[in-house]
This record gives sequence, C-alpha cells and structure tokens, in this order.
Amino acid sequence: MLKVNKVSKVYEGKVSYRALSDIDLTVEKGEFVAIMGPSGSGKTTLLNLISTNDTPTTGKIMLNDQQPHTLSKNQLATFRRTELGFVFQDFNLLHTLTVEENMVLPLTLEGIKVKVMKEKARQIAEKLGIDSIMSKRVYEISGGQAQRVAIARAMIHQPSLLLADEPTGNLDSKASKDVMHLLTKLNKEEKTSLLMVTHDAQAASYSDRVIFIRDGQLESEIHRGDNRQTFFQKIIDMLSLMGGETSELSSIRLS
Amino acid sequence: MNFRQFAYRNVTRNKRTYVAYFLSSMFTVMVFFSFLLFAFHPTFETINSSVRTGLLTSGGIIYVFSFFYILYSMSTFLQSRKREFGLLMMLGASNTQIKAMVFIENLLIGTFSTMFGISLGLLFAKTILLVAENVLIIDERLHFYVPFEAIIITLISFLALFVIISLFVAFVLRTSRLVALIKSDQTPKKEPKASIFLSVLAGLLLAIGYGIALTVKGVAVVMALIPVVVIVMIGTYFFFTQLSVFIVRFLKRRDYIFYKRTNIILFSDLSFRLKDNARTFFMVAMISTVAFSAIGTLFGLHSYLTDGVIEINPYSISYKMDSDDQPEIMAEEVNYIHSQLKSMGVEATSETIDVAFVDMNEGYIVPVLKESDYNKAAKLIGEPIIDVGEGETIINDQTVAMISDGPKASETLMTFLIDLEGDHTLTPAKVIQTNVFSSMNGSYVINDADYVKLPKTSMNRTSKQVYWMTEELSRDEIVELGEALEEIPPYRVSMIDYTVFQIERGYGPALFVGLFIGLIFFVSAGSFLYFRVFTDVDKEKEKFTMVTKLGLKETELKKIITQQLAILFFSPIIVALIHGGVALTALSHFFDYNLINESALVLGGFTVIQLLYFVLARHFYIKQVKRIL
Repeated sequence: MLKVNKVSKVYEGKVSYRALSDIDLTVEKGEFVAIMGPSGSGKTTLLNLISTNDTPTTGKIMLNDQQPHTLSKNQLATFRRTELGFVFQDFNLLHTLTVEENMVLPLTLEGIKVKVMKEKARQIAEKLGIDSIMSKRVYEISGGQAQRVAIARAMIHQPSLLLADEPTGNLDSKASKDVMHLLTKLNKEEKTSLLMVTHDAQAASYSDRVIFIRDGQLESEIHRGDNRQTFFQKIIDMLSLMGGETSELSSIRLS
Repeated sequence: MNFRQFAYRNVTRNKRTYVAYFLSSMFTVMVFFSFLLFAFHPTFETINSSVRTGLLTSGGIIYVFSFFYILYSMSTFLQSRKREFGLLMMLGASNTQIKAMVFIENLLIGTFSTMFGISLGLLFAKTILLVAENVLIIDERLHFYVPFEAIIITLISFLALFVIISLFVAFVLRTSRLVALIKSDQTPKKEPKASIFLSVLAGLLLAIGYGIALTVKGVAVVMALIPVVVIVMIGTYFFFTQLSVFIVRFLKRRDYIFYKRTNIILFSDLSFRLKDNARTFFMVAMISTVAFSAIGTLFGLHSYLTDGVIEINPYSISYKMDSDDQPEIMAEEVNYIHSQLKSMGVEATSETIDVAFVDMNEGYIVPVLKESDYNKAAKLIGEPIIDVGEGETIINDQTVAMISDGPKASETLMTFLIDLEGDHTLTPAKVIQTNVFSSMNGSYVINDADYVKLPKTSMNRTSKQVYWMTEELSRDEIVELGEALEEIPPYRVSMIDYTVFQIERGYGPALFVGLFIGLIFFVSAGSFLYFRVFTDVDKEKEKFTMVTKLGLKETELKKIITQQLAILFFSPIIVALIHGGVALTALSHFFDYNLINESALVLGGFTVIQLLYFVLARHFYIKQVKRIL
C-alpha cells in the first residue's frame, strides 16, 4: 500500500543537515504502524514526506501505486483530500465552523452532494460518539472531543492512509485512551492503514508494529504479540535501550 | 542591549510588521507636503491672496484629517501586536516601559516617515505643479522652487503630531489582564448575531432616505438635506453592523449554498469579519460618499456654469447694439473687431442681423427676426434653415439652459397674434427650438415681407447684432483676443471662449482643491480597508495552512481570497457609490440640470481607482498567503 523506498532528506543551508537517510518502510493495507524516536530523530520529517507536505531529496514514495511527489500542485491537493487523512496534535479545527461543518470539510471541497455529506457525517459521528455535539462550535467542546472530531474529519472521505502526528499529545490520559481505542477500532473496521508518529509509549502500544528512528535512520522495529501489556513493556525497554532515561522520553501512564 | 536599543531593533528587524503603518504615515505626510508645496508657491503671493487663504484652510482640514487617520492607523497597528505586549509584560515589562517602547517606536517611524514623505513630495513636486498649472489656469508658469516654508511647516506639524499621537498609546493599551493580551488572537469569538428588527430597520431607513432624496425637487432639496443625511447615516451604520451579518447568516443557513465547495470556508469567516470591520466599513462608506458628493458637486457646478453659457452663446463672438441711434459707434466697434481678427490672422465669417423687440402685451417684450436674417445666422452655426410663409410666424422656443419652472415660453407665445400695419395679423404656425437666437421669452421668426410692415408703435426698440464664427483658437489666442475686446463695453460684445476661460480661471482653484481633498479622502479610505484586511493576514495564514493540509488547490485558495477581499473591499464602496449616486441625482434636481455625465465620470473614476487598489491588495495578499504553502 505505502512503500517508502531509500528515502533521504537533506536540508540545504550554510551547513547541510541530513534529516533522514535511506529509509525503507512498507505499510500494508489495514496495518497500524507507529513511529517512535527521540526529539530530532526525523519522525516528523518522515511524516511530512509521506503526507506530501515536503519532498524527499532522494528516494521514492509510493502510495497505492501512485507517486504523489510527481503530481502537480492541483493534483496533489486532490490527492490529499481523497487518499489521505490527517490527525494533528493540536486538532487543527477551524474555529469559525461548527463540529459538523468541520467534519464534512473535505467532502465539501470535493463538491459532494449535501445529502450524502450529512448522511456520512451522521454515520461517522455515531461511531465516534460525537453525534450529540454536532452543532456545537469548536471552542465549546473538550480536547478529547475535539480530537474525535478531527478523526472524524480525517476519516469521512474514507482515505486509504490515515496519518496521525502525536494525536494524544494534547490530551489527558483518559481522553488519550479513548482516542486510541477509536483509532484502532476504525483501523480494524474500515481497513484504513494508519501511520502514527508519537512520543507516547502507551499510544504506540495500540499499534501492530512500532518502528524506531534515531538520527534519521531506522533503528529497529518490534511487532505486537497477543498482549498489549507486554508490547508496551517491550516498547519501554526499547526506548531506554536507545538512550536516555525512560522518563525523558515519555510521560508514562500505566493503565 | 539597553531599552532604547531594544525598541530600535524591534522596529528595524521587524520591518514587515511596521511597514503598513510606516507607509500610510508617509503617504499622509506626502499629501500634506504636496499641498503646502503649492500653497506656498511664490506665484500665489503675486496673484490674489484669496487663493492662498483657501489653500491654507484646506491644508488645515487635511491636517486634522491626517491626525485622525494616523491615530486610527496606529491603534489598528497596536491592536495587532497585543500578543507581543502580553509576552513582554509576562517577562516583567512594566506598563510604563511598554508605553515608552511604543513612544520610541512612534518617534522613530514618525521621523522617518516625515522625512521620506517630504522627499517623495519633492520628487513629485514638478508633476504636481504641472497638474496644478493646467487645472488652475494660471497665466504664469508654476516653476519649480525650493519650498523651505513647506518643508519646515510639514516637519514641525508632523513631528508634533506623532508626539501627540504617541501620548494616546495609553488609551489604546488600556488592557485589563495579561491573559487577555496573550490569548488575544486565540480566544474564539461567538458567532455574531444580527437583530432582525435592526436589520429591517436598516433596509427601511435606507429606502426612506433614498426615497426622499430622489423625489424632492428644487429648493426642497436643501430642506431635506439634513434629515436625509441623518436617516441614511443611521441606515448605513445598521446596514454594516446588522443587515450584512444577517444576510450572511441567512445564506449560511441554506445548506445548498453553504456546503458548496469553497463557500464553506468563505462564509464561515465572513460574518465574523463583517462584524469586526463594521465600523471601519461604515466610516469608509461615509468618507467615500462625502468625497463622491463633494467632487461631483464641484464638477457638476462647473459644467452647469460653462455649458449654460456655451449654449446661449453659440457664436464665437457676438456684438449687439441695442438702438439704432449710434450707427457711427457701432461701425467703429465692429470694424475694430474685424481688424483685430485680421491682425491676429484668425479666419472668421460674420453676419449682421436686425432684431425688432415687439411689445406683445403690456411689457411682455418678444424679439422678432426676419426669415432671411434667421437663416443667415443659422447657416453660420450649422442649424437647419427654415421657411416662413406670409402671414405666419414660427416660434423659436427658449434654449434648454434657460428653461425654468413654469410654462414654456412657446406656450405663451402661441397665444399671441402679431399685429401688422393695416389690420393684418400673423398667426403662429409651429414651434422650433434652436440656439440661433437666445431669449428668455423665446422669439418669433417672420417673413421678410411682413417684417417691414411691423408697426412702429408696438415696437419697443430695434437692435442690430453681428455674429462671428472663428476657427478653433488656441488658449493664447483666446486670451489675446479676449483682452483686446475688453476695449468695447462688455454689454455690447461677448466672446464665448474668453468668458468660459474666465469662469474656469475663477473656478479652477475651488475645483482643484476640491478634487485634491476628495482624492485624499478616498485614497485614505482605501488605505483603511487595506489596513484592516492585512491585520488579519496572520490568522488567515493559519487557517489556510490548516485547510491546505486537507487538500486545497491553489486555484481554490485564490478563489476564496479573491471573493473574500472583493466583499471586504467593495461592500463599503458600493454602498458609497449608491449614496453618491443618489446625492448627485438630488443635486441635479436642485439645479434642474442633468448631471448624468458628470456623475458617471466621477463615480466611474473612483470605481477604477478602487479596482486598482483591490488588484494590488489581492496580489500582495495572495503572495503573503502562498508563501506559507
């Protein structure tokens, strides 16, 4: 589904800086992959490349047999609003719109019929448990609700790949757990591939596979077994192995 | 780094934030300086002092206006920096320090904008003087000079202005809590609501105001002026604060409009931005209306005066001797005109006609021309010749410029019969309306054979008139000939080109000053809008970054920005154009004179300027927003 092939990113400047070197990564359809690594390891750069916000210096990124970086600006915009969904740390909802309006925004831009839009919004809102706040404005809802709205917005057009950048970064532990449950549920039910960048070992433990990056290179990867608790422990061990103290890497929450 | 250095660096290293404020200050200085530049021109010392008094008074008006304009610019500028002040306060800056900082900044910007404004003014000085020369119709050339007086006055007035305005900072920055400052650009606002009652009231007031303005005629226009202005002003205020928001909300509630592609992004913001900017829009609309009406009035008055004169004087030169008793003087003076024309090498054709003034009815005196004379004169100005049968008269009605209230002259003349010697009478056959012979009471044209039979008893007086048509004259020739003709008493001779020239010379300064001030009002109204639009640009960038991530085409981005800017830029101007149009229509009712051409020219001209403004603003705005993509 998503194939990242020998991708490098060099930031030119007075001192060129190699943010990523020779990254290879494959995400299968319906797979949930988490990317972890210390600050400055290149996680966000990788996500930006995959999300077509940035272009790789060398290497190739393929999504559903399409190479988004060769598309024109306009094609790229269409590509984003049909193939990709985004969830951000700071929700990125428009303050001037209501919850429902925020949710249907990708469909509106695509020019879908109002009736179809409303129906889809209703369905996904029910699934995410936000149908009671549809007509509220964004500033009237809590962080957890806001992130659920953002997820709804990211999923409403049934993208083939959902990209999440620290989706739990701004949430308390209860809300984090809810959001992660929802993401996994959607991932399983809708067979949407999910790629998540996170600092949070707890959040990462919901994934099928965690990839660790350090200094712009793939460090290692661990697969989830049957038990999420042991997976979580493995992630913590891996993080401490990679350097630094565990407490520095994440605010660990034990459930 | 001491505090002064900090303030200094804050400006010099952060140019983008300051540039709008700087530019509008500089522009104001430039305008004021250019105005003084020619108010103090040495030429005006020698001509009449009333021109200079007028100019200086206008200069004072511009100064007062500049004061409010710069104050407004500064407060918008400071509003957009609230967060920065909040940050400084959090770091421990005291209120006094922040005020001191803004004070230093203001002095810095003030000094530079004053200096640059003066320099730019000097750069354009020659152009301005050339324009002034042509509009003002001054005999002497306005040569370039080094305007020490203007420089010094501008320098002192604006430095003082900036110091005084800096003191107002305290009012602008009277914020309560630190949190409010820091979160000033994050606190989401409730969706603005519009009251239905006030929205309807706005529409109603505007309709009533327009209705009155368009229906009153003549002197009533003056009486209606103040109530109409008040009604329309209140109406306009509610139009922007209530009705516009109401309309947007109404459109938003229509799903098929709101959920249509990029409309959702456009409309979601619109009601907020309209409400936020309502006062600015109101002000801009009112200022522009004043500018339109003032310029339109001056311009209309100008054509009203000149067109009227031209219409009743179709001949280049006309000479009339109202009695037959001084044939020598007449011969001498007519010869003088001929010889002047000849010596100047001006080609001219002339005709002499007789006019009999007949007392029709106890002092109601009507000029009577014979057919051959009428036709001679008609040929001279290219009017069709006419044929009058014996026993008939043709009535030549008043010219359009002379028509006033009451019945037309022809209606009165139709009722009269002209008595001839020996029991004959002439009956009116038809009415024509030409410029061949102008008279308040209209005139009769009769057959040559009948003309000799006019009884001496009913004749009030007879007169001989000589008309010349010359080739097109240059301005210098007009002045030379006109001055030469001043030898002859003005009630006997008139030279239309010279008369128009004199009107324009007298009227020029008023027109020029009016245009100048009108233009300043209008351009600064445009800058208000520009300012408002650009203070929001950072918020807009944020929004567009967000939406672009979801997938927004560049064409769509441009479309949204264009629509949004167009609404923000044109809604106050369209309102002002309609106000101005109504005002000028009322004016034309007052004068009973058609001002359509003048109104169209003035309003069209402003529309073009505004269009240019819009294109520029759009260009820079899109450039700014695209930079983040």
